[in-house]
Amino acid sequence: MSETMNKIMDDVFAVFRNEFRRIFSLRPALAVLVVGVGIYAVFYPQPYLNETLRDAPIAVVDADGTWSSRELARRIDATPDVAVAMVLPDLASAEREVFARNISGILVIPVNFERDLLHGRQSPIALYADASYFLVYQRIAGGVAAVAKTIGAAVETARLIAVGIDPVLAEAAADPMPLTLVPLFNPQGGYATYILPAAFVLILQQTLLIGVGLLGTLPDKRIAPPAATVAGKLLAYLALEAVILPFYLIVLPYLYGVPRLGSIFAILTLGLPFVLAVGGLGLVVANIFRKPTTVQLVLAAVGIPFLFLAGFSWPSEAIPEAVRIPALLLPSTSAINALVRVGQLGAPLSDVRMQFLTLWALALVYGVGAMIMEARKERTSVKLEPTSAAAD
Amino acid sequence: MLARANIRPGFWLVFWREFVRLRRRPFLLALSTIVPLTLMALLTFVFSSGLATRLPIAVLDLDSSDLSRSIIRMVDASQDTAVSVHVAELADGRRLILNGEVHGLLMLPKNLERDVFAGRRPEVVFFYNTQTLTTGNLTLRGVSGALPTAAAGIRLALRTAQGEPYEFAQADLTPIPVQIHALFNPTLNYIHFLLAALIPSVLQIIIVTSSAYSIGLDSETPYRLQTLRWLGGGLWPAMAGKIAPYTILFLAMLGLSDAVLFGYLELPLNGHRGVLVLAGLLFIVACQMLGVLIALILKPVGTAVSIATLLTAPAFGFMGIGFPRLGMNAFAYHWGALLPGTWYLMARIDQTIRGTPLDLSWKPILFLLAFVIAFAGLAAWRLEGKRAAREAAHDARFAPLPGGTTP
Repeated sequence: MSETMNKIMDDVFAVFRNEFRRIFSLRPALAVLVVGVGIYAVFYPQPYLNETLRDAPIAVVDADGTWSSRELARRIDATPDVAVAMVLPDLASAEREVFARNISGILVIPVNFERDLLHGRQSPIALYADASYFLVYQRIAGGVAAVAKTIGAAVETARLIAVGIDPVLAEAAADPMPLTLVPLFNPQGGYATYILPAAFVLILQQTLLIGVGLLGTLPDKRIAPPAATVAGKLLAYLALEAVILPFYLIVLPYLYGVPRLGSIFAILTLGLPFVLAVGGLGLVVANIFRKPTTVQLVLAAVGIPFLFLAGFSWPSEAIPEAVRIPALLLPSTSAINALVRVGQLGAPLSDVRMQFLTLWALALVYGVGAMIMEARKERTSVKLEPTSAAAD
Repeated sequence: MLARANIRPGFWLVFWREFVRLRRRPFLLALSTIVPLTLMALLTFVFSSGLATRLPIAVLDLDSSDLSRSIIRMVDASQDTAVSVHVAELADGRRLILNGEVHGLLMLPKNLERDVFAGRRPEVVFFYNTQTLTTGNLTLRGVSGALPTAAAGIRLALRTAQGEPYEFAQADLTPIPVQIHALFNPTLNYIHFLLAALIPSVLQIIIVTSSAYSIGLDSETPYRLQTLRWLGGGLWPAMAGKIAPYTILFLAMLGLSDAVLFGYLELPLNGHRGVLVLAGLLFIVACQMLGVLIALILKPVGTAVSIATLLTAPAFGFMGIGFPRLGMNAFAYHWGALLPGTWYLMARIDQTIRGTPLDLSWKPILFLLAFVIAFAGLAAWRLEGKRAAREAAHDARFAPLPGGTTP
């Protein structure tokens, strides 16, 4: 009994050593699993490192040309969100500048802006903001509306005081129940803080998936029975990712200034079934596609859809159930949700129990699937090589 | 077919040969049809609702007054948010946010109604989660849009109670109202914004990698490139004949997805269709030539595909749809300018939702054209270099033999 145990352990260990050596000796695998991972760590975050968009350029069409209208424009220019890049005579010429992508918004201050304000009438202004880029639109609309509200509240309070209302009550009448907004996480609404933790999980999955797919399709000698082969290989991937995963989920967020509230222990606890599930899936993929270039080409473009399937960028409530459920077959769907919640929100592991169990289930299903495929491959190759069967 | 019968070297000979080869190579055919179609269909399905509405938030109502209940009703009635849970304390709300059941928590303080009418300005607090930026911003919009509506009624009541005439009071509420017009995408639909940009990004990855693969196979096989050049009767017709079948295939894929986008999902087509098609054609050829160039520089084919993936898979972020290029650092900004997709997406936005006047439409088109010329020129230069090297080697080896012919 213990002898068979020993034999199995020896087999697993032999496969582990062999596979670990292959990771570093086979160039295509090394390129993806180590070099690619290193390049992505530096390259991928580049677009987002400024975190927020500042000084989105707008044009002001000031038909009023008074002190008040210029003051409004000046105060809008002073916000961090918006910059007045040009002052133009009419809406038509400003529209052309939007089409030419020189500006992203137009603020129109109509004639009599100041006069209406002084007479206690409403003084509307119009903002045209480019909604073909949502972040630009949000910045401009938010920035201009905030300034108009602040100035408006001051005007309103002054008017009420002028008609003899108690200043305290006047202020209350302008804003009787102020809304305080408390962002619990990512307080500055930074883009890098938002996208990188999720993208890093996806990069880990895609590199490991392609790497394992390559290792599984490149020539290899068989040194152990199917179960031991799969177990040994998964252990080798686990050993590699034991370095890479903490680097991606702990060191990189630290270097890029992305806050981490979760404990290292919780992240690693989730990382274990994630790596096993991806490794198992990689072996299954290798058995389906059979050729290294096929693996590379088929998996090249799937990253973008996978990220959106995770319900992270686009709320999962808005994703039809017919894709939301099958998407659970991808380790990234559960892993992105769980790792971001644990890592960035500081959720306890009990809050991501479902994702944790899903990842273990995937690890089991793909691991067993890989063993079955491995066994079948062995049988067919035995049939093809009768001499080795005879030697057995 | 005529060209085939005569076996006269030229574009058509290479073109038909490639078409026949495509039929014998089901993988390459699947890679340029089934794979992009599946991924595009998947993305379309993910975004099919276009708008994310009624995102769940929790409410902690410590007042239980008419006012607090009417605020909750208004927040629930907003398009963006839905009140899904009432919690009894802050900790419960926080836990629901952490496990993802809700995206925010609205807290209405004790004695809200009493304090409001006494002019004590009690604070209503909304806790939200911008770790998920889209969802966080949407719930924020829902709550901060609904609250002023609830407050407006109170403000009016406070004033008329002070003896101010009603119509004056109403004009007073917002002295400077801002009429915000969302140019080009009035409903802020995510299909028009994100899906329309994601599909070309996926296509860019597939075109560059599969072109690198297809040319890589040729450049790995001895004499294949020479044969192609001979069949084409020159470098340019051979190159054109080799890539044209795939250009047609990819153009068909782009056309199919656009048919769904414009026909079924009703993405506006406000610009010039001719310019849109021209931009699509230039984009596809530019991506193909980039793939060709990579395959001619890097060997073996696996490495070429690897590098093609490394260049294109993370390209979406650099193309400035999610986070605008305006806000990027210098490296990311300039790197983005080197991607055909960046310019194609600009041309697409111009010719679909924007309806940019023709005279302002040419910049992205000219950039795409420049890419085609530059990549094709570099590929030709590389091929000529290879040929010169081969001939030099050939001459050296066969110099003593008079009139040696290549097999």
